[in-house]
Amino acid sequence: MDLQSFGQSMAHVDLGAGDVEIRPAPDEWVRKFIGARGLGVRYVLEAGPDVEALSPENLLCFVNGPLTGSETSMSGRWACVTKSPLTGTVTDSHQGGWAGARLRWAGLDGIIVSGRADSPVYLFVEDGKIELRDASEVWGKGIHETVAFFQKRYGKKNLSVNAIGPAGETLCRFAAWLNEDDRAFGRGGTAAVGGSKNLKAIVIRAGTQKSRDVDADAWKKVRRQALDRIRDEKNITSPKKGGLSVYGTNVLMNVTNSIGALGTRNSQLTSFGERAEAISGEYVEQNILVGDPTCHACPVACKKEVEIKQGPWKGLHMESVEYEPAWALGANCDNDDIASVAKMIDQCNDLGMDPIELGNALSMYMEASEKGWVEGNGLAWGDTLAMIAMTDAIARREGEGDLLAEGPARAAEQLGHPEIAMACKGQAVPAYDPRGLKGMGLGYATSNRGACHLRAYVAAAELGVIDVEVDPLEWQGKGELVKVFQDLHAFSDSLDLCKFSAFAEGADEYAAQYAVARGEPFTADDVMLAGERIYNLERYYNNLAGFGEGSDTLPARFTREASTQAGSKGHVSELDQMLGEYYSVRGWKDAVVPEDKLRQLEIP
Amino acid sequence: MRVNFYATLRTAVGQKTVELSLPDGSSAQALAHEIARRWPALADRVVDAEGGISRRVHFMLGGRNIRWLPEGAATKLAATDVIDVFPPTAGG
Ligand code: SF4
Repeated sequence: MDLQSFGQSMAHVDLGAGDVEIRPAPDEWVRKFIGARGLGVRYVLEAGPDVEALSPENLLCFVNGPLTGSETSMSGRWACVTKSPLTGTVTDSHQGGWAGARLRWAGLDGIIVSGRADSPVYLFVEDGKIELRDASEVWGKGIHETVAFFQKRYGKKNLSVNAIGPAGETLCRFAAWLNEDDRAFGRGGTAAVGGSKNLKAIVIRAGTQKSRDVDADAWKKVRRQALDRIRDEKNITSPKKGGLSVYGTNVLMNVTNSIGALGTRNSQLTSFGERAEAISGEYVEQNILVGDPTCHACPVACKKEVEIKQGPWKGLHMESVEYEPAWALGANCDNDDIASVAKMIDQCNDLGMDPIELGNALSMYMEASEKGWVEGNGLAWGDTLAMIAMTDAIARREGEGDLLAEGPARAAEQLGHPEIAMACKGQAVPAYDPRGLKGMGLGYATSNRGACHLRAYVAAAELGVIDVEVDPLEWQGKGELVKVFQDLHAFSDSLDLCKFSAFAEGADEYAAQYAVARGEPFTADDVMLAGERIYNLERYYNNLAGFGEGSDTLPARFTREASTQAGSKGHVSELDQMLGEYYSVRGWKDAVVPEDKLRQLEIP
Repeated sequence: MRVNFYATLRTAVGQKTVELSLPDGSSAQALAHEIARRWPALADRVVDAEGGISRRVHFMLGGRNIRWLPEGAATKLAATDVIDVFPPTAGG
């Protein structure tokens, strides 16, 4: 594969007309917006910010970054970018595994999908070609069965199947794409956009390719420098030694619980107490762990494969028990049964849903049920069998599931109680309570895709895992910190490297690798400028789509109801103060990017 | 005092919870040294080259990292205190 020609082979697929054309992305776009997330947002803007998310006119963009599929560590990622049916903002989500790498090895840098097919189709990609094929045999099937179907048809070797499940087909607003059975474009409902287009899957067949057109010595050197950082025993990424590698992301459960930052019972509480241990990474590692899968070119292997050995889900073999779903479907729903959590994650993997949004939908409904605000049977806290049945009903939009398939924000609104939806810009919050980790709360409020922990992972500083270390309960200084993290991550999401690279690497390592891959100078300052440009491009899109002043908010529960648990006791989120600081360092007028900032950053 | 170990520290200690008998009013730094003495394999993870608490360990008292308490490593511990001890921990 040729690294330096990244962006030359973008496949444009018009599902309505049945046309496919491969042409380059404009050079200027690649220069300014890099790839993956940044380039994808630039494409999505072409459909206009007023486009209806589930209309044929919306663009569904699958975009690699300039490093995707290369030999550099953690480079197995690609982005799905579109207008979100959940939030109405532009959204992007990233998958690990091998699908993005295989797309690159098959000779494509991205796929821009428009229109709507008359009947279900899938895209088949091989040897630089892309074809529309009939998917009627797998429409209605779960993702596991869909993957097995294509593996039977094309063989398992070198094959990636990226598919939607029943939730995408029924236009559940938080439907997710999954490749290789369990790696998700999880957030923002991108699979509902696939469903609205009658697009069931993208099937890619390609063997490993090496980078040909780089300075081999320089390439080896910069990759080695990054790898040394990842392997350093001081870093949590250190293979088989660091916490992320040994326990996976769920190594977090006990620490956020300990400091009063683990939302519990729909964030009415900030700690799950002694019960957190039963859904923690330590518990999983001791009791049900059977494997540590990885992604393309990653020595960290943070994925955690488990087998349930007893109870109703005995024999379930799945990956991966991550922190986010273990929180969303566990503590957040007052559930300490890890087997049921694994079962529901596997349901999400098969039905094609975002487990963070699902967990928040269930917990919101549990609170509404407890308060007598629902008309149906409702849901009781921690009733795992009912949660599992409801998960299925949501994906198929049956009974009360039809309401919850709209996502917790819309569903709570329909119940007449929007205040019990823990969401920002319509997307539900992840597993860091803003009362115990102040910077994370600011990150949720100012995220361009709705509440998200991965736009600004300041928890790395608030939990003391990187050189910059800050008090999680201090609000001052968080405005600048959040901006820096947002810009840095916007760049790594555009390269596209795994977010966890930021636990070991920084702007210097990103710049060095990008410079050699592109064959042109690129500095750490250039990294931060490109990241800032991409972040502002997204904000510009959202401003045009109707998100104006006052749109960066948190649920009142976080700003008005003080925590009652140890660690964060007595604390609320000082969002207004943090926003003042943040807008000042961003150079924005409230939540809006002013004209002079757009000009300065060459947007669009 | 009761000390709970997490993640890779728990593996090294061999159990989650250990009762350590330090004099009432001992500092958090003294606790770090006691852990280093009891489990030498952990010594360079809990105590730094200057004898202070290493940056590679987090002692939580009442849910607060002692690093952010007014007296930091000199924070006095009571015999009845429960301390959670974590290695650097994050994910996503
Ligand atoms: S750290 Fe985990 S998610 Fe990231 S590339 Fe490696 S295995 Fe995949």
